[in-house]
Amino acid sequence: MNLTYLRLEAVRLFRNKRVVIFSTLMPALLVLIIGGVSVGGDPDAKQYVMVSMALFGAMTAAISSGGTIAVERGLGWNRTLRLTPLSPGAYVLNKVLLALLVAVPPVIVTFAIGAAGLHVRLTAAEWVLCFAGAWLSSLPFAALGVVIGYLAKPDSVQQVSALINLTLAAFGGLWVPVSLMPDFLRYIAKLTPSYWTGQVARSPLDGGHIDTQAVIVLLGWTLVLAVIALRRFRVDTARA
Amino acid sequence: MTNEAVQLAGLTRRFGPVTAVDGLDLTIRRGEVVALLGPNGAGKSTTIDMLLGLLRPDSGEVRLYGESPAKAIARGAVGALMQTGGLLPDLTAEETVRLAAALQRNPRDVGEVIARAGVAEFARQRVGGLSGGQQQRIRFAMALVSNPDLLVLDEPTTGMDVETRRAFWASMREETAQGRTVLFATHYLEEADDYADRIVLLRAGRIVADGTSAQIKAAVSGRTIRATVPGADLAGLAGLPGVERVETRGEQVLLHCDDSDAALRALLDATTAHDIEVTSRNLEDAFIALTVAGSAS
Repeated sequence: MNLTYLRLEAVRLFRNKRVVIFSTLMPALLVLIIGGVSVGGDPDAKQYVMVSMALFGAMTAAISSGGTIAVERGLGWNRTLRLTPLSPGAYVLNKVLLALLVAVPPVIVTFAIGAAGLHVRLTAAEWVLCFAGAWLSSLPFAALGVVIGYLAKPDSVQQVSALINLTLAAFGGLWVPVSLMPDFLRYIAKLTPSYWTGQVARSPLDGGHIDTQAVIVLLGWTLVLAVIALRRFRVDTARA
Repeated sequence: MTNEAVQLAGLTRRFGPVTAVDGLDLTIRRGEVVALLGPNGAGKSTTIDMLLGLLRPDSGEVRLYGESPAKAIARGAVGALMQTGGLLPDLTAEETVRLAAALQRNPRDVGEVIARAGVAEFARQRVGGLSGGQQQRIRFAMALVSNPDLLVLDEPTTGMDVETRRAFWASMREETAQGRTVLFATHYLEEADDYADRIVLLRAGRIVADGTSAQIKAAVSGRTIRATVPGADLAGLAGLPGVERVETRGEQVLLHCDDSDAALRALLDATTAHDIEVTSRNLEDAFIALTVAGSAS
């Protein structure tokens, strides 16, 4: 792994602020409105909302990080990289690691609001496992962001990412619990990666374990999306 | 270990009905400094894109040090400066060069390259706020820091002012003195004339001349007579023996001659021409003769 490259890319992401602010502010507002007002006094519902929103923020950040590729392609940066020994694998891995990095602030902020504002009380083990679940299950969305970054145009990538992000969040049961959905929507939910991320992140709430089936499904999603991303990198030779 | 840095064989690329590069054969030996010279649209950038593996040829083959471009680049043997784009506006100039160095196998010292390429004075500014000429210097620094055996420059001085251009070539000269192989594309004649050991003249995707600057000038024989001719009759001057073509520059006439001795005798007999100069044709004349005049035939 090339640490200088990773560091300078991270500097760019945090210097731009847009991704970090947007992905942190959205779930912070949602957790306050839905968790603080809509669900009333039910502590289980508050937990559910807090973890789901943290996950939503991590997912937003991870997708947007990959979306920066579309902008870089528009600038001709990919041509520059092709003239260096950097391998396609290292480039995509770098984007995925960055996605995991920017996925941290929304999870921390949302959990902090949950603990301080909504009085969510969890055991130390549950906090740690929920954090790890919400954060690391953003991995397939990091790969999804890379794919979007290659397929979208630089000027529409934000809108495309936002649309896909909100669709996945809604159908995956991050805003309305899947258990409250009609049968056919429940079926659709299981086809989205966001449903399975929800399962992973919330599973520690029922007795502090991690849902292994959901983890395997997510790894499958990550693998498929990463393969598509690698193929796009190789094809992407057009002059900017 | 091959002695050839670049081998292009039968390289062809079409864009729709246009054949941008048409059966190009070119071999560049190690240590040569070669200018790819031609007017806009001659196929210079297309050739360079194929040479670097950024564009797939319709037919023909590219070998860099006997390998595919991708392999040579992965090995760090090739550094390139492209014409446009390719920079991140939110990094500083220094960060950009540092990043380019970090991606290479055997990079040079970043501080030294920044000084050499003239980037030091704006090293801490963001790339997005810099002028085209300053950005071009950053691209040059990125190419240098890769410490390549082969340096490929596509229109390297685009957007530079005269002074920057001179500084750029001065630092290039120091680079090439170390035996580096350089291929640069340009449409500036004087750059090709001043800095290349060898000029490859391109027109409509084909090589129309290949040699030293002196050889290319010699390919276009003849001399030009420049004189002030009061009451000049252009048709009459064009009819003088040994004259091919007549031009006027204000008070002066230019007689392009295949036999300037005969033309001069006739001119002195027939007119009151004065302030006469006879010069051999320069690279510009050769360039026009080979690229423009040639395209009409």
